[in-house]
This record gives sequence, C-alpha cells and structure tokens, in this order.
Amino acid sequence: MKAFIKFDFNTACKKILKEKLEECGIKHRILGFGEVEFLEKVSPEKLNLFSKLLDPYGIEIVKNQKTILIQKIKDAIVDMVFNENISVNVKSSVYLSEKLNYSYGHLSTLFSEVTYTSIENFIILQKIEFAKQLIINNELSLTEIAFKLNYSSIAHLSSQFKNSTGMTPSAFQRVIIKRKELINKNNP
Amino acid sequence: MTTEYITIYLADDDADDRLFFTDAFDELKINTKVSTFNDGVDLMNHLNDPDAILPNVLFLDLNMPKKNGLECLLEIKKNEKFNDIAIAIYSTSSTEEHIEETFINGANIYIKKPNDFETLKKILSEVVTINWQYHTSNLNKDNFLMRM
Amino acid sequence: MKAKQLYNSTLLLKVIFTISVAVIFFIAAITYKHITTLKESSKWVEQSHEINVELERLMSYIKDAETGQRGYLLTKNEEYLKPYLTSKSLINNSYKRVSKLTSNSLIQKINLKHLLFLINKRHNYLSKTLYLVQTEPNYDHKVLNEYLHVGRLTMDSIRLKIEEMSSTQKKILQNRQLEYESSMNYTPLLIYLTLMVTLVLITIAFIKINRDVVKLSKTVNTLSVANEVSSLAEIVGGFGSWQHNFETNTYTFSDNEYRLLGCEPQSFEASIEEFIKFVHPDDLEYVMENVKNMALLATLPSFTYRVIRKDGEIRHFRTIGRAVKISSGERTYIGTTSDVTEEIYAKNFIEERNRELESNNKELTAFNYIASHDLQEPLRKIETFLSRLISSDFSTLSKPGQQYVNSIQTSANRMRTLIDDLLQFSRTTKTEKSLEKVDFNLLLENAKVELNQIMETKNAVIESNNLPTLKVIPFQIQQLFINIIGNSLKYSKENTPPIIKINSSKIAANSDKSLPANNHNYYKITFEDNGIGFEQEYATKIFTLFNRLHNKNKYEGTGIGLAICKKIVENHNGFIFSKGVLNEGSMFSIYLPFE
Repeated sequence: MKAFIKFDFNTACKKILKEKLEECGIKHRILGFGEVEFLEKVSPEKLNLFSKLLDPYGIEIVKNQKTILIQKIKDAIVDMVFNENISVNVKSSVYLSEKLNYSYGHLSTLFSEVTYTSIENFIILQKIEFAKQLIINNELSLTEIAFKLNYSSIAHLSSQFKNSTGMTPSAFQRVIIKRKELINKNNP
Repeated sequence: MTTEYITIYLADDDADDRLFFTDAFDELKINTKVSTFNDGVDLMNHLNDPDAILPNVLFLDLNMPKKNGLECLLEIKKNEKFNDIAIAIYSTSSTEEHIEETFINGANIYIKKPNDFETLKKILSEVVTINWQYHTSNLNKDNFLMRM
Repeated sequence: MKAKQLYNSTLLLKVIFTISVAVIFFIAAITYKHITTLKESSKWVEQSHEINVELERLMSYIKDAETGQRGYLLTKNEEYLKPYLTSKSLINNSYKRVSKLTSNSLIQKINLKHLLFLINKRHNYLSKTLYLVQTEPNYDHKVLNEYLHVGRLTMDSIRLKIEEMSSTQKKILQNRQLEYESSMNYTPLLIYLTLMVTLVLITIAFIKINRDVVKLSKTVNTLSVANEVSSLAEIVGGFGSWQHNFETNTYTFSDNEYRLLGCEPQSFEASIEEFIKFVHPDDLEYVMENVKNMALLATLPSFTYRVIRKDGEIRHFRTIGRAVKISSGERTYIGTTSDVTEEIYAKNFIEERNRELESNNKELTAFNYIASHDLQEPLRKIETFLSRLISSDFSTLSKPGQQYVNSIQTSANRMRTLIDDLLQFSRTTKTEKSLEKVDFNLLLENAKVELNQIMETKNAVIESNNLPTLKVIPFQIQQLFINIIGNSLKYSKENTPPIIKINSSKIAANSDKSLPANNHNYYKITFEDNGIGFEQEYATKIFTLFNRLHNKNKYEGTGIGLAICKKIVENHNGFIFSKGVLNEGSMFSIYLPFE
C-alpha cells in the first residue's frame, strides 16, 4: 500500500531545530530563512553538541561567508589600531585592501551593508576605545596618548573623543577614577 | 542587524515622552522591539522575572515615582544577570555633578531629552548603533560611555 | 656673694638685733662691773680710812690707858684710872673692829695678831705695873722702871706696828687703786669699740630697714594703685571678680560684683547663698550644677545665666573661674562674673536675622530651581510637539499658519534659552560643593572642545600661557571659561578672526590697587579679545543679571552669562573686572585667592 506524503521542509526543519535546541537547553529565537538567534551565550561544547545532534538530519551550521569577511575586516582594523608595530603612515584603506586582498571599495560597501556603519567610523571607534584603555591605564598623559594614536594634537584627540562619546577625555578620566574610588570604598 | 532585532526597554512615567520614544523608533530603520514601563517598580519586577527577555539597551528616566531612575540603576548594577544590558539615563536637564554621578554609578549613556523630534531620532539611532558595535565587536562594555 | 645674700635676708635683721641686744647686755655687764668696782674701790678707801682711824683710835685708847696709868702713877689718884679701866673694853672693841676691817688681808691679819700680842703685852705690863703699885706700897722702882721701859718699848712697837699696818693698808689701798685703774683703763676703749661695732650694725640695720621700708611703701603704693585700677577696670569692663577660699570656705566679692547686682559694694556678706538669691529661678538649677563643679574641676568653664538685679531688671551674666594656688598656699578659686546682656541680645538678634535670611535664601533658591527646572518640561513638550507638527504637517498649513508656527518656534527657542540660563544661574550656588585641585590648563582645553564648533566657524585662535592649578569647584570654573571665551567669540568683529589671549600671573597680597588690602594672595587670569568691545562706562553694569548692551536680534543671548561668571568668582571669594574699548576689544580679569 502506498501513501503520498507532502513535505513542508520549513516546518519540519524548524521543529527539529526547536527540539534539538531545547534538548541542549539553549534559549533561542528562530528567525526566517535558516537563521537562529541564540538568546544567551552558548559555550563551544554546547554548540558542538547541538551540531552533533543536527548531523543525522543533514542539518549543519554554516559559517556565513559575509560574516567571516566582516570579522576579518574588524580584526584587521583592531590590529591596525592597537598594534604598535604597524607603521603609522600607512593609510588605512591601503592597509586593509592589501591585507585582505579585496578592493577597498568592495570592503567598504560590504562592511556598511552588514554592520550599518562605515569602516572609517569603525576605525574611529576603535581608536577611541584604545584611547579609553590608555586613559584607564593611567600611564600616559593625554598628550602622549594623542601622539601614540597619531593625532596631530591633543585638541584633535579631544575633539574626536568628544564627537564620538559626547564627553572630553578628561571628563571620561574623571568618571573612571571616581568609579574606582567607589569600588574601593565598597570593597575595602 | 538583518533579521535580528534589538530589544529596547524604556522606563518613564510621562506618557508624552513614551510616545515620542516609541514613535522615534518606529520611524527609524533599525529593527527594534520597544517595551515601555510606567515606573521603576514595574521595570524591576519585569527584569527580575526569570523568564524575561533582557533588553540590549535600557533607557531610564531619572524622575519617576515609587522608584526613581538612580535607584533602579543601582539595583541593576548589583545583579550580575544584567551585566550585558547597556543602561542609558534618559532625563531632563541635570547638573554636571549629577550627570557625572550617574556615570560613576554605572550608567553607560546619558541622554538629555532633546527638544525636537528629529534630534531625538538621531540620538536614539546613534545610541543603538554604537551599542550594536560594542555587542558585535567584543568591545569592553565597561568603557562604553556616551553623552548626548 | 654670701655676704650680699646675708645682707638681703631678713635673717640679717634678726641677727643684728640679737647682736645688738648681746652688745647692750655686754655693755651693761661692763658698766655694772665698773660701778661695782668703783663701789668696791670707794669701799676700800673708806675701809682703809676706817682702819687708819680705828688704828689711831686704838692707839689713842692705848695711849689713854698709858696716860691714865701714868697719871695714876704720878698722882696715885684713882680718878686717872678711869680711862685705863674703860680703855680695855674700848681697846677690845676697837681691836675687834680693826680685826673685822682687815679680815680680808692676810698680811694685816698677821700684823694684827702681832699687834694683839703687843697690845696684850702692853696691857699686861700696864696691869702689872698697876698691880705692882697698887698692891705693894713699896715696890721696887727698878721693876717699875723695867715695867715702864718694856711698856714704852712695847708702846713703840705698837706705834710702829700700827704705822706699819697703816702704811701696809695704804699700800694695799694703792695696789687696789692701781688694779682698779688698770682694769678700768681699757673699759672706755672696750666701750668705744663696742659702740663703734654697734653703730656699724645699727647703720647696716637702718639702711636695710630703710630700703625695705622704701620697697614696701613702693609696693604698697603700686598695689594700691593696681587695686584702684583693677576696681575701675571692673567698672569699665562691666564685670566683677570673686574668690572662694576652700580652706576657710569663705567667699570674697569685689565691689563691682555687688554693683553688677544693683547693690552697694559689700552691702551683704559674700556667699553663694546670698548670690543665688539674685539668680533667675529658671536658671537656678543650671547655676547650682556649675557651682558644684567648682569643687571638682580645676577650671570652671564659662556658663551663662540670668539674674534679676535688685532693681528688678533681668540681666545676663557669664561666670568663669579657675583654681589657683595663692602665695599663702591655701586652695582658692578665683573667677569673674561679666554682664553680657548686650552681647547676648546682639547675638540673639543676629541669630534671628540669620535664620530669617537663611529661610529667605532657601525659599529663593528653591523657587529659582523649581522655576527653571520644572518649567523645562512643558517647554520641551511644546518644542517637541511643535517640531513634529512642522516636520509632518507644515506644508499643509496656510501661509499665515506657517508664519504663526514659525513665530511660536522662535518664542519657544527664546524661552528655552532663558530657562537654560536661569537654570545655570540657580545652579551656581556655593553650598555643598567641594573644592578640588584642578589644572586650569585642562579646564581651558575642555572649554575649547565645548566651543569647538563656533571656534572653527570663526577661525578663532586662543593663546594662553601656563595656567595654574588651584583648589576650586571644577565645573563652575569650567563654566566660567566657557562663558567668557564664548562671549569673546560671540562678540567678535565681523570678518575678523577672533584672537583671544589668556594670561595668568601671581599677585602678592595688598599689591594690586583694584583689590582690597586684605593680606591675601591672588592669581590673576586675564581674557583679552579683539572683538567689538564696549564703552568703559558699562564696565560694572554688564555683570548685572539680564543686562545687555545689544538687542537680541543682533546678538543672541540673555544677558545672564556674565552674571553667572560674577557669581562663580564670588563663590570662590574672588573678584572680576572688565575693561572695554569700543571697536577694539575687551579684557576680563578674574582674581582668585590661593593659599
């Protein structure tokens, strides 16, 4: 005897995913078109387990090409900003383009598309982050930090810092210092 | 930020301000899910619910009855469960000392409620975007300080 | 050294006195001796004289006896025997007397014995002779002559003896006289010597006593003057003093202590019981407690209480006391009681005014704050809703409608600026702000960042020398910089890039004429610009609240910026001055005190 079966892959896959996710105890949100959002941080072991559970169903976790490239760009930028060995005179566009083997235009477009912000903005963000770290470390003066980060003057650093964060580097420093004092007061 | 959405909470006792807020996000092209609360107690009850979905960004008005924004801030900072939430103080004008105090007590962002709608949209957009950068690029959220 | 010490000690007087007394006794003794010796010497003269007389008498009696006998022998008259018969007893008596008189001389005693022997012998022979003659009518004349011869010889011997005795007595007397004289010779010398010594001692004593007396009278004088001054001081200063002697448990009140209570000085016996009769009944317990503390504490801290004077007026007194050791060694408490009524009233008055001022101030501050802060909310809503209206429906409005909306927005903006400024002004208070050491260069940098946009628009240049680090309220000084520099940027000349020069210098105390001479050092910071300047006659007016030199259409602003600057500077006990030259530029100088 034969029965005719119609497959609704979407529902079936969704169900399997849901089951396995629940089995692994991963809080999740199933978005459309093969995307699952984990609502909490998932440890590599758990991820592995989940992958393994999906294996028999022929379902595998795919690393998005785009995502990988974006991550590469980000890593390269972080490297460029934080790494002192990289020559300060190299233009970021040239550096990235050479390092990742794509034209800067392509990288730029892709980056904006995915992250909704430009590479330039991201670079500034990273620089300011670095400045923040240096300020917290409290080993260099603001002038030295400006120099280290390749700003033409402390005013230039202050200006960009303020544009990015809305506060001056010294105001930021004050907050950090007073936060530390508060922690010390509460945990003597 | 394609099909993912960003969860936003707002605690503000003023109905007009809640309206401005939700309208602004409606007009922004960012995928957000906005929930509003009328006062601090309401907010904390919801946050402390074990089933609750925690927000990416929480906007706190300072002047609220029953439990004001500062009290909520302190309570939230004490709980490790809320460490990933970016807290933005969303308030009418305060003194410099007061603003500094909110940062010292753990706020990430201080927003002075703007007096026109377009500015509000711009500010909210920037806050959410930058927060997203922190979220996706593994930047240290402790250093996330912004003032708008 | 020792001599001087000796000279100055009071012991000296006692010593001198003792010596003087001793000397006087000594002189008395000598005088006494002198007198007795004198007496003795005259006695001896008398005695000698008497001895001589007596010896003569004796001789005479013996002669009488002899004469009698002779007479009888011649006349055979019994009548002539009378003196002979009486002579025996007379001779005996006389001899006894002489013997008594010469009892103190050994030689004379021997002589006397001799004499007695001779007298007896004579007598013997006399009686023998008589017997011979009387009993035998025929007596042997030879025997008679022999008897008479022996008699005469004996008589001669007697005479010799008596002469000898007489001269011996004279010699004895002479010796005694010599002795007396010799001993008496040095007496005057001794007396003169002791007199000299005494004189010297008396002189020393006199000098010392004189000096002491002078010192004493000076001291007494000073003391009485001091006493008088002290009494007057009490009257002038409106206080009285008292003493409590613990040993004798007595009190002493100064005259003014009585006057303070409205009584005549010393009009009642000084005691605690009498004093507390004047104390206000409500304060009685408090006063008694403090009085009890006198016995326990070495220092009685001051306490204030009310009294009701004799005339019924209520006054406020303050008493303070301390235990002291006075020179007599007795434990004493001394203290003062001051009439502090005026002081108390003044203090109360000031406190009352202060309270009034404080409460006024609080009201004003609260009002100020509420007015600016709470007005913001509705204004913001107006502005926001207006902006939404404009962005969504502006085009659908009629032409006049659009104009109205624009006007509303302009007014709203103006109101916003005013409220912002008022809010800032009300926040520029001094209370409860802590001072921090801040580098002014940093504050300048921050101000530049705040004003970055307008600086870039106008191509402004800000020059500064090294600014100091001072203890200030950081946010306020920051605002000060922003306001002043902001003003310079706002009021710049058209088409001229603003150049702002900021300079700081130390000003030594009392050296700058524009500052009061109050011995404080100041830092002077000047802000000089090349803007449109202003007329110098408005130099102080521009710091008044809401005062503007231009209308709001040409230059926007509320006229509060400089008033805020002035308030900030005054919060730091500093000063701010302005100098302007129309169409050339302005200079603002701020002075901030530092340690």
